[in-house]
Amino acid sequence: MNNFEPKIVGFLCNWCSYRGADLAGTSRLTYAPNLRVIRVMCSGRIEPLFVIKAFKEGADGVLICGCHPGDCHYSEGNYKVMRRVPPLKKMLEQFGIEPERLRVEWVSAAEGERFAEIVNDFTRKISELGPIK
Amino acid sequence: MTQKIGVYICHCGINIAGQVDIEEVVKFASTLKDVAVARDYKFMCSDPGQDLISRDISELGLDRVVVASCSPLMHELTFRRVCAKAGLNPYLFQMANIREHCSWVTADRLKATEKAKVIVSAAVTRVIYHTPLEPQKVAVNPDVLIVGAGIGGIQAALDIANAGKKVYLVEKEPSIGGQMAKLDKTFPTLDCAACILTPKMSQVGQHENITLLSYSEVTDVSGYVGNFKVKVKKKARFVDLAKCSGCGECTKVCPVERYNEFDEGLSSRKAIYIPFPQSVPNKFVIDKSGSSPCRVACPAGVNAQGYIALISQGKFREALEVVRRNIPFVGVCGRVCNHPCEIDCERAKVEESISIRALKAFIADYELKAGREKATPVERTKEDKVVIVGAGPAGLACAYDLVRKGYPVTVLEALPMAGGLLHYGIPEYRLPKEVLDNELNYIKELGVEIKTNTPVTDIARLFEQGYKSIFLSTGCQESMKINIPNEDARGVLYALDFLKQVNSGQKVSLGQRVIVIGGGSVAIDCARVATRLGAKEVHLVCLESRDLTCKDRMLAQDMEIEEAEEEGVLIHPCLGAKGILLKDGKVSGLETVICTSVRDESGRFAPKYGQGSAPTINADTIIIAIGQKAVAKDFAEVERLPYGTIKVDATTLQTNIDGVFAGGDVVAGPSDVIACIAAGKEAAISIDRYLSGLDLSEGRPRVIERVKEVPKERVSPQPRAMMPLLGLKERRDSFAEVALGFDEKTAMEEAKRCLNCAACSECLECVKVCEPKAINHEMQDEMVEIDVGSIIVTTGLVPFDPTPLVQYGYGRFDNVYTSLEFERLNHAAGPTGGKILLKDGKEPKSVAIIHCAGSRDENYHPYCSRVCCMYSLKFGHLLREKVPDAQIYEFYIDMRCFGKKYEEFYGRMLKEDIRFIRGRAAEVLDFTIYKSELGKLVIQCEDTLIGKIRRIPVDMVILSVALEARNDARQVAKLFSISQDADGFFIERHPKLDPVRTMTDGVFIAGCCQGPKDIPDTVAQAQAAAACALSMISKGVMEIEPITSRIDEKRCAGCRTCEAMCPYSAIEYKTEDKVCQINEAICKGCGSCAAVCPAGAITSHHFTREQIMAEVEGVVI
Repeated sequence: MNNFEPKIVGFLCNWCSYRGADLAGTSRLTYAPNLRVIRVMCSGRIEPLFVIKAFKEGADGVLICGCHPGDCHYSEGNYKVMRRVPPLKKMLEQFGIEPERLRVEWVSAAEGERFAEIVNDFTRKISELGPIK
Repeated sequence: MTQKIGVYICHCGINIAGQVDIEEVVKFASTLKDVAVARDYKFMCSDPGQDLISRDISELGLDRVVVASCSPLMHELTFRRVCAKAGLNPYLFQMANIREHCSWVTADRLKATEKAKVIVSAAVTRVIYHTPLEPQKVAVNPDVLIVGAGIGGIQAALDIANAGKKVYLVEKEPSIGGQMAKLDKTFPTLDCAACILTPKMSQVGQHENITLLSYSEVTDVSGYVGNFKVKVKKKARFVDLAKCSGCGECTKVCPVERYNEFDEGLSSRKAIYIPFPQSVPNKFVIDKSGSSPCRVACPAGVNAQGYIALISQGKFREALEVVRRNIPFVGVCGRVCNHPCEIDCERAKVEESISIRALKAFIADYELKAGREKATPVERTKEDKVVIVGAGPAGLACAYDLVRKGYPVTVLEALPMAGGLLHYGIPEYRLPKEVLDNELNYIKELGVEIKTNTPVTDIARLFEQGYKSIFLSTGCQESMKINIPNEDARGVLYALDFLKQVNSGQKVSLGQRVIVIGGGSVAIDCARVATRLGAKEVHLVCLESRDLTCKDRMLAQDMEIEEAEEEGVLIHPCLGAKGILLKDGKVSGLETVICTSVRDESGRFAPKYGQGSAPTINADTIIIAIGQKAVAKDFAEVERLPYGTIKVDATTLQTNIDGVFAGGDVVAGPSDVIACIAAGKEAAISIDRYLSGLDLSEGRPRVIERVKEVPKERVSPQPRAMMPLLGLKERRDSFAEVALGFDEKTAMEEAKRCLNCAACSECLECVKVCEPKAINHEMQDEMVEIDVGSIIVTTGLVPFDPTPLVQYGYGRFDNVYTSLEFERLNHAAGPTGGKILLKDGKEPKSVAIIHCAGSRDENYHPYCSRVCCMYSLKFGHLLREKVPDAQIYEFYIDMRCFGKKYEEFYGRMLKEDIRFIRGRAAEVLDFTIYKSELGKLVIQCEDTLIGKIRRIPVDMVILSVALEARNDARQVAKLFSISQDADGFFIERHPKLDPVRTMTDGVFIAGCCQGPKDIPDTVAQAQAAAACALSMISKGVMEIEPITSRIDEKRCAGCRTCEAMCPYSAIEYKTEDKVCQINEAICKGCGSCAAVCPAGAITSHHFTREQIMAEVEGVVI
């Protein structure tokens, strides 16, 4: 399992999380290279289908990042995605995909360090889980 | 569909190339589907790099472009422009971020190269699905909103206004000026802050292009760049700006002293005030923070804070006037009210509540002793006659309010004397007849006609007599029975009859031993009257407990119970009456039973009795005082409830008959004086509305906002004034009043304990002296809507409160000051007139200035506040100037004197004999070891330059506190869609290259809301923000990103799921077509609607489902 390099798809909102990821970059914080970022304007844009598609294409984990509750650039998009995730996790479970492979985190534009920590932690967890059986 | 995609990989010098094998990525890119060309270049964003792309577009006929370089937030716009210039729609471009998200964050070169390939692959698969988009062009409204009028806001406003454009300048405080207005001198030039600021402030006040909205707050922002709609709440100032001449007569008579925030609390100001002499606008404002708890608690709404404030100033007659605005019974309520006001008094949270009731009695007695002038009758302005049945407190309060409204009012009373239970129920030792009569006369003098000995029982008769409205306030006249054996025997009296006889001057013989049954005020009164009538033994038997803290406590007031016991009344609590024993057909004693519980969980009267031995008490007379009820037989037309009380509407007090109202005990059952008065007042409102043809219930009951928080930190405890009482012997022998009342000095001292919870006490003294009639206490907040094209946020900072730095003793030691406090101390217009003085009025001979209080400290603020070193140096200089022989110490970590002429200023201070000690001061102590430290504060620190621990005794300590984000910064950020950093400061678009724009187009920031900075930097940013706004205005048109959503009406099923998703209400349901439509001018493109559309009818432009799905495919390879 040591050679397993998980593929993780990250959906990041444009205003907080993408900027948080940029800040991690400008601060030269190194973190696991497994995350592949897809930018959306708001985490509220994320359809369950996107997540399912990612797993279908071979992703080992999906990370959704948005602004902290109450801080959404579009007032409440993050609450909308928050509501979509629990049923989606249930559905993934029925597909035989462990629900822990989908994670939602709030990362502000000022939290570069936190972003790097989240990526590292999530990568570690997914590595432990191994590939989807 | 095949496309020709050009892929361009940027080296970014070594930023990308250092960690990513560019050649490999290029090779990989060229293998991807539809890629016509893949190239790399050192700096893609440079001119040659841009030319490379542009040449390929025209020469190779590229129809899609991908640039793999930095973050799109950095250069997406640059490359879009390149495409547009070369004739390719700029939205057929995609950026791959291989710097911030790849080369800079990946340690391993091989892995970084792999990741870069994936990122490029995703961009290529995505760009295939891009469609040409056209940006929307919108006109820019040339008006500008500036929020916050400190030096930053002022400067930006002047720059824009001087360019001929209109500015709305919104300031939360009553005056503009911000923090700079509080400063004395400014570093390094030592200009006087006021001298350089106030001319600008007055320019703002007079500028024809500036609309100043002081004492106002932005509450809502909608719209988009160039076209914002802003709602501003203009807080009620209670002073008409147009009329106020700023003469200051009002402030002289205002009795309320408040913490002066402008002087950092080192002085006080009045509730009506101008923040500082050069305020703009230079007009008064009244500080109101809701209603005081005492006033809210009073059922009749008597303004206790108002009259207490006036008593504290010795204005006793004016105080009396304040009470009489609400109720006629000042002396009465000052004696017998159950004072709910005192129960909710905020002062009780310090030690004990204010003696509100006693103070009220004091002002009534003051007038009575001095002789009351006859009241002038109120002019009759109304025709409709009103009749009130029953001259008790409810009826008379109603009459009082109606006669003052101009109605002809007649009160009909069955008994020979007016006053109801005030006359017939309450004994003279509690309420002297002289006091009651004075107040009854006052009511009569105003024009109320009181006809005694006039019983009425018929509503119709009254209407026949020409009365247009009737108020029934006949009270509860029938005593309740216990229903025990022998209750009708000789020697059994009922409280009401007994008291009525005594109060009418009739002789009552009680015998030697008396038992009173009951635990309320009436029972206590009966017992105490009995002792005064010569009974040798008076027993009081009640169900309730003597423990006044439990749920079953006696209902009488604490003081009454105590006084009764002092006078020898023997209280037997927790006992019920079982039977009355007779001897020769006359009362001989009372059998009792143990009472285990009086009220149930919900507070309802439900007594439970227990077993066990209960005493039998011998007696000659038994007085039953367990309550009264309404006489149900009169006024047959009026609907009653089972207990005989009249049924009324709870809000309007109207009975089942139109125009007939009822209130007081006849409605509520036995209650208390103030509740009855309140009912009378409510009835007066109803009757007035009824006779004026208005709606009875609109806006009732009135909701009064209780003041939320009353600061008590600076309040030192002071005991409540005790009421002096008549000697015990005199009490037992006569009906003389027990409570002797306060003298003037005691009353004023007691009144001064009041915390003035609501700030303005609404005593209305200011209204009396305001010649231009500018004061309006009824003024309401006003909402204004303004349309602007751009917004500049300059909301500034707050100084750090050093209380949590317990080691420095701020708040504990008198002579530890914050820097802003020292600024005020040093200011010519400050609390000491510019003299640097200690709390005891002496000049400090040694001063320590401690740098970095709250800054550069992981526990508080990790950042450097940037101004503290410099202002600390300035303090050193000012101290040297004002106290030439003082020892001045500066405790610093590093000296940061980075600005123009700052280092030079430091150099100058080094020559002014200021001792610089390098090392963070560890502690400020008040215990001394050496003689030289006696009476001083000792700074304990490590002098790192000599490597020694030192103890330095000083007279005064100044903490150079950090600057921090305002506590409402979060709300402001949300309002204007600005992001905040971890310290709460607003984030600019780019830290170096775009310092005043924010991520929201058309919203700019300047000054300390963006981060701590000094005045020159704030002014420079303000001017930059003004320039940005002006450039938008001069362009006249803004392009809005076409990233919005659209609904395909053919596919829309009209389910309206999307409608609920939209935070901007941009989606509208068209009823005739049964489909939804998006207003793209309002849509901000979050795409939440597209995510939920079950029909897939919504396209979120540039973030379509196809594009994102393709990107997913590209990213997982």
